[in-house]
Amino acid sequence: MTTYPWTKHYPSEVSPELEKVPYANLPELIKAAVGTYSKTKAFTQVMPNGMNGSLTYAQIDTLSDNFAAYLREVVKLKQGDRVAVQMPNCLAYPIVAFGVFKAGLVLVNTNPLYTAPEMIHQFSDSGAVTLVVSDMFADRLKAVLPKTKIKTVVTVKISEFFPPIIAGVIRIVQRYWSRTLPKIEVDHTWFQDALKAGKNAKNDSAAASYLKGITSESVAALQYTGGTTGVSKGAMLSHGNLVTNTLQMISHCGTGMRKGMETVLTALPMYHIFAFTINLIAFFHIGARNIIVPSPRPPSNLQRAFDNYKITWLTGVNTLFNALLNERWFQDAPPKHLRASAAGGMALQASVSERWRELTGTPLVEGYGLTETSPVLTFNPLTGLSKDGSIGIPVPSTEVKCVNEKGKEVAVGEPGEIIARGPQIMLGYWQRPDETASSIKDGWFYTGDIAQMDADGYFKIVDRKKDMILVSGFNVFPNEVEEQIAAVSGVLEVGVIGVPDEKSGEKVQAYVVASAPAPTQEQIIAHCRENLAAYKIPQGVTFVDELPKSPIGKILRRVLRDQVVTGSTKKGA
Amino acid sequence: MNSIMILAEEVANEATVVNEFEQTLLRIFILIIMFGLGAGLTPKDFGLALKRPWGLIIGWLTQFGVMPLTAFILVTFVLFQFDPPPGVAFIALGALIMGAVPAGTTSNLFTYFSKGNLALSVTMTVNSTLWAFVMTPLMLVIYSRLVGLDESLDIPVSELVTVIFGLIVPVALGMLVRRLSANAGSVLELIGGVFGILFIPFLIAVWVPRNWELLLTTQWPTYVVAIGLGAMGMTVAYYIAKAIKLHPMNARTISLETGIQNGPLAIAVIVSVYADSPGLDQILLIPALYSLFIVILSTLVTFWFRRANVAAEQKIPNLL
Repeated sequence: MTTYPWTKHYPSEVSPELEKVPYANLPELIKAAVGTYSKTKAFTQVMPNGMNGSLTYAQIDTLSDNFAAYLREVVKLKQGDRVAVQMPNCLAYPIVAFGVFKAGLVLVNTNPLYTAPEMIHQFSDSGAVTLVVSDMFADRLKAVLPKTKIKTVVTVKISEFFPPIIAGVIRIVQRYWSRTLPKIEVDHTWFQDALKAGKNAKNDSAAASYLKGITSESVAALQYTGGTTGVSKGAMLSHGNLVTNTLQMISHCGTGMRKGMETVLTALPMYHIFAFTINLIAFFHIGARNIIVPSPRPPSNLQRAFDNYKITWLTGVNTLFNALLNERWFQDAPPKHLRASAAGGMALQASVSERWRELTGTPLVEGYGLTETSPVLTFNPLTGLSKDGSIGIPVPSTEVKCVNEKGKEVAVGEPGEIIARGPQIMLGYWQRPDETASSIKDGWFYTGDIAQMDADGYFKIVDRKKDMILVSGFNVFPNEVEEQIAAVSGVLEVGVIGVPDEKSGEKVQAYVVASAPAPTQEQIIAHCRENLAAYKIPQGVTFVDELPKSPIGKILRRVLRDQVVTGSTKKGA
Repeated sequence: MNSIMILAEEVANEATVVNEFEQTLLRIFILIIMFGLGAGLTPKDFGLALKRPWGLIIGWLTQFGVMPLTAFILVTFVLFQFDPPPGVAFIALGALIMGAVPAGTTSNLFTYFSKGNLALSVTMTVNSTLWAFVMTPLMLVIYSRLVGLDESLDIPVSELVTVIFGLIVPVALGMLVRRLSANAGSVLELIGGVFGILFIPFLIAVWVPRNWELLLTTQWPTYVVAIGLGAMGMTVAYYIAKAIKLHPMNARTISLETGIQNGPLAIAVIVSVYADSPGLDQILLIPALYSLFIVILSTLVTFWFRRANVAAEQKIPNLL
């Protein structure tokens, strides 16, 4: 076994190498949890006003069996067929996702906020033949379906599995008050009808055959990515990728994730890889109760979830933690039962993690990963040395290093592109061998992020390679500038980008969302002057109402730059 | 004066400007609304209102400082100045009583719709009602002397107790239901909200036709006092709260809480204390007009607060 600089920093209960994985595929992993926790509540969906519905582990198991039978026996899908799923967090989501896996099919998670052209691209690129969609977004289907191979549409209500009266009230409110139920103009089957049909068609011998030949090498999900860098492509995540990454994360958290004792708040959408692997699969596997919230926007939507449940775990992105810290109800009564929080998806600002620890008295550790890596590559240990501003150390059975342009590992402390090797690296991009070949070389996945490793083996992301700003030949990393600006009082959010400049090639520009009393441009620049080299100081600060963001709340610098450079007002995905 | 006579007759018969049935209906409305509002609250919310008592203190000051003073100013500089109607002293007395009574229960409803601090609102209503034992008679003595009326009155304890129980009991029950079942609680809250929305047109619908004559014959200085009391109270309290940098949510709450007086309480007190007074109808004039216009005024202010709320506070980072 190779020893790495970080090996000694694993907490004592964490093994640097994962033991042999006892599950060949995701359904086996799911069954293991169901066997242990069957009567426990697995998922509770909480609406902004506190209305809620729950399903136990046993119910999730039975219902996802029914849904698998529906897909294979009623819709007659064949092993490996793609099933697109497009819905916000709701109780139906785990049933659909697990049902797809149990049926030996491939899950294609789709952002519900996608526009028609984006849906067409993803559905036709993946070759999806069945779509499970929230009825709130089904109005786009008439334009979309003819341009795809989708033959079957299953529609899901947000109130699925709520007590009948409550579900009825939610329907009335949706229909007559918020008017979020568009007319569905395509042939479709309601989810409950699909489950009934599946239940009737179910038989055990057939069910066993669905997974025949499904090994750890088989594709479980096409997880689309690259929306921020150009054309969206599907990362082929295998059963093995997702199973091992789940176990890596659990192992890495050690005693921080207690079996059968956690209540995790899932505010991030489960169609996103971060919440998908960690909240949906890993926390399910350890028998946690999952409190799912359909939309964390505005953040006050989370208040009832915090009020009514003893949340012990929270996963999120910088934007979410920051937003909560700015909410008065959260400041006044920080969650009492919280034990740990994990941040990923984007850089966690030091000011945010410090305020979080101060307010809640619990650790907020940052990790790192990409869709292509299932996603977790590194995390700060929950029970060992955690370094601020660092993405931590590789999870067990994972190698990470920083390399130069030639692919040679750089010295400790030197910045280089971060590359990784491990069981969680995707099989490749769906039907894009060229893109796969340029990102996976000799089993190493090239992330496109610049990082540096310290002597302890802790990594620190410097920035996204393509976000780097070149000012008169000097490299400026937006993260560093944003970090400084975020520390100025009154700054809620900040995005730093490079815009073309005649003199210096590019110049640094900051876009700030401020709260009253807002700081002035002079105050912000003065703060930067104290903390940054001259060439890194923004030439201008523009105050804006809102910054473009990805589905999980990551600030999209590329979209911001497009808006600024071309003057277009196109919104981000 | 015909209309005043009608009003006086009605008062004599029904002890209010609306009839018994409507009054019962309104009480039930308020009960359902308060029950629903309670279902949206947790003990934690009240803990916070007490833990940071600034809102409560400022609210007390505006309630018993600004409102009686505003009534006094309006009486002195408007009512007594412009062509005083017959029985102006009685009308003035009604205005001063209106200024001195504690906050009304409807303030909680409007606070809820204004996205204010509901727990603070309920706490303030209870607080000012408790203080009313002392403060309402005291304020009335002081200001009636100042305008040369030299009146004093005792607030019937039973009236105040009724107000407090009518507030605390449904709120506590609502909280209990919510604690037992978040689902039942949120349904109650929704029902309370729907009733809250119906409450306003209902109130106007029962009030206006019945008192149409009164509206037509009342002279403008009286209107200025009846409407100005609530409007000025809300405005002054809002800017005081803003000036000392209370959270906008609390500033909205204090504004509504201060401006919205307990009209039914004022009417009940007047009817029981001045039952034998020859000027009963005139004393009741301002409280009756105030009770109508405060609902309209609060509705407008609520719309304005909701807009301001969106503009000023929803800039909290957008997620998703």
